[in-house]
Amino acid sequence: MPDANVTPSRFCSSNVWSPGNFTSMSAEELSDAEVVREILGGQREMYRVLVRRYQDVLYRHAYRMVGQPDDAEDIVQKTLVNGFQKLNRCRDPERVGGWLFRIAANLCKDFLKSPRRADLSIEGASATVVDRSRPDADLEREELKDRVQQALERLSPEQREAFVLKHLEGRSYGEMTALLGASKSALKMRVLRAREELQTLLKVYHEQ
Amino acid sequence: MNNELNEYLDGDRELEELSPEAQAEADAWRRLTGELKADEPRQAPAWMENAVMSQIALADAPKESLFGWLLRPRTIRLSPLTSLAVAAAAVAVFVLLPDPAPDTQQPGPVAVTQILVEFSLDAPGAMTVAVAGDFSGWETEFALDDADGDGIWTGRIPITPGVHKYMFVIDGTDWVTDPRAQRYSDDGFGNRNAVLAVSPPRSL
Repeated sequence: MPDANVTPSRFCSSNVWSPGNFTSMSAEELSDAEVVREILGGQREMYRVLVRRYQDVLYRHAYRMVGQPDDAEDIVQKTLVNGFQKLNRCRDPERVGGWLFRIAANLCKDFLKSPRRADLSIEGASATVVDRSRPDADLEREELKDRVQQALERLSPEQREAFVLKHLEGRSYGEMTALLGASKSALKMRVLRAREELQTLLKVYHEQ
Repeated sequence: MNNELNEYLDGDRELEELSPEAQAEADAWRRLTGELKADEPRQAPAWMENAVMSQIALADAPKESLFGWLLRPRTIRLSPLTSLAVAAAAVAVFVLLPDPAPDTQQPGPVAVTQILVEFSLDAPGAMTVAVAGDFSGWETEFALDDADGDGIWTGRIPITPGVHKYMFVIDGTDWVTDPRAQRYSDDGFGNRNAVLAVSPPRSL
């Protein structure tokens, strides 16, 4: 039982939270650790602060990994809901963003490994429609992008993740190590394999 | 793949240092990644925030652990008289403490020996299994391996001698207690940590 002399946390005085009145500057200025503390103290509406801080970066990563907006949206929702339910397991609340990112990254890889996804990829590839009314340059550009997306789908989830983090998110190997927990040399190898795979596939495309 | 191009893409070389062929390839890579990024969404859809908040309104609330509660910063108000008594007690403890033994030697470098400890977890169906413990700052940097796909994940991790707490982390999110640990302790989060005692080598 908390001591009666303990100063109440600064948000305990307000019991009413809604999207409309949640414009408090002070809430946005709190550190991640302070926000986590408030949530674990019972202020579940404070989770909105974390959602606002991290939903975009999680969504961009999920989209780059799975390639479809609907799937990326599902993954981000699941990440944020799981993150709330397991928030008391976050060992370093100051880095809750990285912790959420790891949940999302793992869900993306699980999704790419799932048999359902493999079936969808095959169907998706056979359903590509080329719009003949568009200029040649646009068509070529679209075709190249489709080819690259297909090449990315052939990478293992781990290789694709390394490629996305390095080349599409512009992260350093140090950041990647901190996010994924893998060694720098392992990550460099995954990126190299992804580049080689892409280069081979693109070379075949250009020779056609 | 061209080695100098790889070094450039890894940020270890400047573009000007590359051969003309490698510069052309680097340019192609830049265009390629630029095309991939050009049409991608910048933000999560606007409905995401409220959709998540609606779902967590129905979810079980995470509870702050006893450990977290104990570490929580708080202000304690004391009356002047109580403050005086606390200060006097602190001075008394300081005065009554015996003098530490004088240093007779300069501290030298301490050799930290690490022992390879083999971890194993039966987790069929897992995508990844990692070990997180006080020896890794509770980060999941030590991944176990299931090379033959039999569902038994193993790995050897260098650990300094001493008593350590650890858990297995399945698929990056599920923290699982080692069912075959030597000992257990409450982790303050409502779970039990596995406890491992690593003995130093006999020569130490």
